[in-house]
Amino acid sequence: MRPSRALAVAAVAAAFVGSLLLGDVKLSILVGVVAVAIAALGLDLLVARAGELSLAHAALLGIGAFTTINAGDRGWPWPLAIGAGIAVTAAAATIAGLPSLRIRGLQVAITTLAFQVFAEAFLFSRDDVTAAGRTLDRPAMLEGDVQLFLFSVACLALVLLVRRRVGVTKSGRAFGAVRDVEARAVCFGIVPGSTKLLAYALSGAIVGLAGGVLAMKAGSISAKDPFLLLESLQLVAIVVVGGAGSAAGIVTAAVLVKALPQFYSTIPIVDLRADRVVPIVSAALLVLAIVAEPQGIGALYRAIGRVADRVLRPGGARAAPEPRPRFVDLAAATGHAGALRDVPRDLRLQMPVRALLETTEVRVQYGGIIAIENVSIEVRRGEIVGLIGANGAGKSTLFHAVSGLAPATGSIRYRGVELVGAPPSRRSALGVARTFQDMGLVRADTVRENVLLAQTWLAPTPAGVSILGLGTSVNEERELRRRADLALELFGLAHLADERLGDLPYGTMRTVEIASAVAAGPDLLLLDEATAGLGPDESHALGDRMLALRDVLGVTLVVIEHHVPVISRVCDYVYCLESGVQIAEGSPAHVIAQPQVVESFLGRTEAARGGVDR
Amino acid sequence: MVARVVTGLAAGSAYAIVAVGVVLIFKCSKVLSVAQGEIGAFGFFLGLRWADRGIPGVGWHISRFGTLVVAVVVGALIGLVLERFVIRPLVSRPPLDALIATLGIALFLALLEKEMFGTATQFAPSPVGQWKVEVLGATLTSSRVVAIFAVVVVAVAAWLFFSRTKFGLAVLGTTGDPTVARLLGVPVNRVYRFTWVVAGALSGLAAALLGSAFGGITPFDMTRLALSALAGAVIGGLDSIGGAIAGSLAIGVVEAVVGGAFDTAGTPAVAVLVLVVATLLLRPRGLFGTEGAA
Repeated sequence: MRPSRALAVAAVAAAFVGSLLLGDVKLSILVGVVAVAIAALGLDLLVARAGELSLAHAALLGIGAFTTINAGDRGWPWPLAIGAGIAVTAAAATIAGLPSLRIRGLQVAITTLAFQVFAEAFLFSRDDVTAAGRTLDRPAMLEGDVQLFLFSVACLALVLLVRRRVGVTKSGRAFGAVRDVEARAVCFGIVPGSTKLLAYALSGAIVGLAGGVLAMKAGSISAKDPFLLLESLQLVAIVVVGGAGSAAGIVTAAVLVKALPQFYSTIPIVDLRADRVVPIVSAALLVLAIVAEPQGIGALYRAIGRVADRVLRPGGARAAPEPRPRFVDLAAATGHAGALRDVPRDLRLQMPVRALLETTEVRVQYGGIIAIENVSIEVRRGEIVGLIGANGAGKSTLFHAVSGLAPATGSIRYRGVELVGAPPSRRSALGVARTFQDMGLVRADTVRENVLLAQTWLAPTPAGVSILGLGTSVNEERELRRRADLALELFGLAHLADERLGDLPYGTMRTVEIASAVAAGPDLLLLDEATAGLGPDESHALGDRMLALRDVLGVTLVVIEHHVPVISRVCDYVYCLESGVQIAEGSPAHVIAQPQVVESFLGRTEAARGGVDR
Repeated sequence: MVARVVTGLAAGSAYAIVAVGVVLIFKCSKVLSVAQGEIGAFGFFLGLRWADRGIPGVGWHISRFGTLVVAVVVGALIGLVLERFVIRPLVSRPPLDALIATLGIALFLALLEKEMFGTATQFAPSPVGQWKVEVLGATLTSSRVVAIFAVVVVAVAAWLFFSRTKFGLAVLGTTGDPTVARLLGVPVNRVYRFTWVVAGALSGLAAALLGSAFGGITPFDMTRLALSALAGAVIGGLDSIGGAIAGSLAIGVVEAVVGGAFDTAGTPAVAVLVLVVATLLLRPRGLFGTEGAA
């Protein structure tokens, strides 16, 4: 167990035991606290993982509780009743999340708010919904308070397990990608819409379980206070004060906010009514936690954990990450290379065409602006083709057109197959991979997770199934990890696999992005300004790597480049764009010598003066 | 039916006053504040307390009109403090952070009101005396007439401010890109402060109107009412003041008409949910909003 987690368990246990010994508290009250903790963990899954804020979670908690009671009253066995609560709440959460398919951020939060108000005013005012007068008989097995408490803790443990599964399977990576790089996630084979709805459904299922626990505790519920807007806001407060993403912090916050007021009617020293003061203080803490630094109690635990680590294991502490990856000779790793390229593909594609990629009169128009027009390029197998031009010339737009992120007309044929109209994930599956000018990866995730993310389309099992670890998903995950480790080793990144991507130096992040694209085993790799922001030495090393990618891995490359030395050294053929149209093509030396290329690419005035300072 | 529409317009007017504040803040700093109900409610409750028991230390009992003034002034002061210490540090952060902060503010103020003023419904006599008028078959109490009158004043004032004053232009200039506005010499921090102070004052006005026109309010009521205002602003377009007024009036009317047409409790909330979701799905920027509202 990590020190931070051990600390959280110890703190919560101490709070519970202390309250039982000191305060006049019944164990059954703690069951309610655990239920709130579970609901907060469900909300956190949505907030921290998927980046969606729901203000309807108290209403969902109510839906879970009332459904369980209704089912129990009809004579369903209690596990089935709880299952019904989970299923109905998951469905309700999915419905509440439907607007997120079209709108995002603040507006989704508003619609969930409207959902909360609707549930309060409409659903919870109906006797058939709130199960008025109905009771759920607690089974003999859970009759005693101790059994009930242990049951609630078992439910909490189950939720922690589910969260862990989400963290180590493709579902968690997909949530992160949709949160941080939604428009690009499609290239990895992720469908943003169903991914978001899965997050809502999963979050709803967890809250439904919390509602089930409340129903088991109470038997029948007449007061609707725990399901009103105020409580929705308090759930948000618990998540933020606890620290989004930190289960330990959130459980602690739930105990502090919910249990303290019940344990102590007065705080002995200052003589304040705790049941009144604590909610106000928690609201103030919510504001403070957001303004100061949105890390919460979880960050506190981590800090203490780091200190404990240092004290307990002197010398055994993890070495700081090396600032720059070692340069690995790709040529020495031919065996690995072959393994990475071994991706099953549709055999009908193996047509004897000369060009791997051939675009004919491609045109991309955004509203009234024509980004590129009449662009016709040809890339042969095993070539490195350069794409040059000033900023705004349409180079990245051409990449978007090829990878399916921009609406293109004309013809883009890859291995003789028409790509125009094909969804981005299909293009990935055909063997087209790309990098982005400003990085299309999730900085909050580790290096390995990002490399796994890029291979999502290689694992066809749905994300929801992968959480349960059913069917072929375990084997798929193992295979993805094998490929990821191979790719990381090839790029000299193996020692950084568990570092957070955002903590690494910029140049290393760029290398990770190329490694993740290569891990998906592409035949055609599009590199968008891979050397941007790198120093001359790093650029030279990257040039070597491009050559190795082609010579050893057999990957065909199209590179957008600004560094003339790199272009001259690695490219077989170069196209130059200006204002969306092609103005020159040929060998690097030939293109770079053209006067209109010099003027466009290197700058008008400098060219006129005969001086070039790049 | 016509009577219901007129009653709905009166409620919608109170929403609209809150909504103008919400839009003013959103236009400039892209912060969506859900605290705009509770800010004014706090001032209103304080004013009532002072009318009832006198100002502590001084002992003056303020008048009925004084309650309204206290609500407006206290609302503005709360806006001033919040802008400086909570919102300004959050402007460059992801928009959800500021939204959560305003949620915390609403929660904090509501709980503080409960603690200080109790949970009972609080009602203020109308600041302009008790009388009634007949409009199109609907009986309007004096407070409701004041609410409708107030929204007209707010709308005209907003129009004059943005079209006739230099500072109004500066506020509009901040809406596009704060960095660019700053480079052009717009005092951006003063604009932010201004929007929060005005929105706070409007919130106080709305609380005083609702507290006297619609059977009084309880702590946290205003947050719920602010949601109707928020719904109105979203429907009208989050960066259009005219749109927010129109949207809020529409919400008021729909709530009154739907509430009158069905016996089932909560049907107005269903109508609002449907209206908000349908508007956002069909036109994410709202009816009168620009690209920035989406």
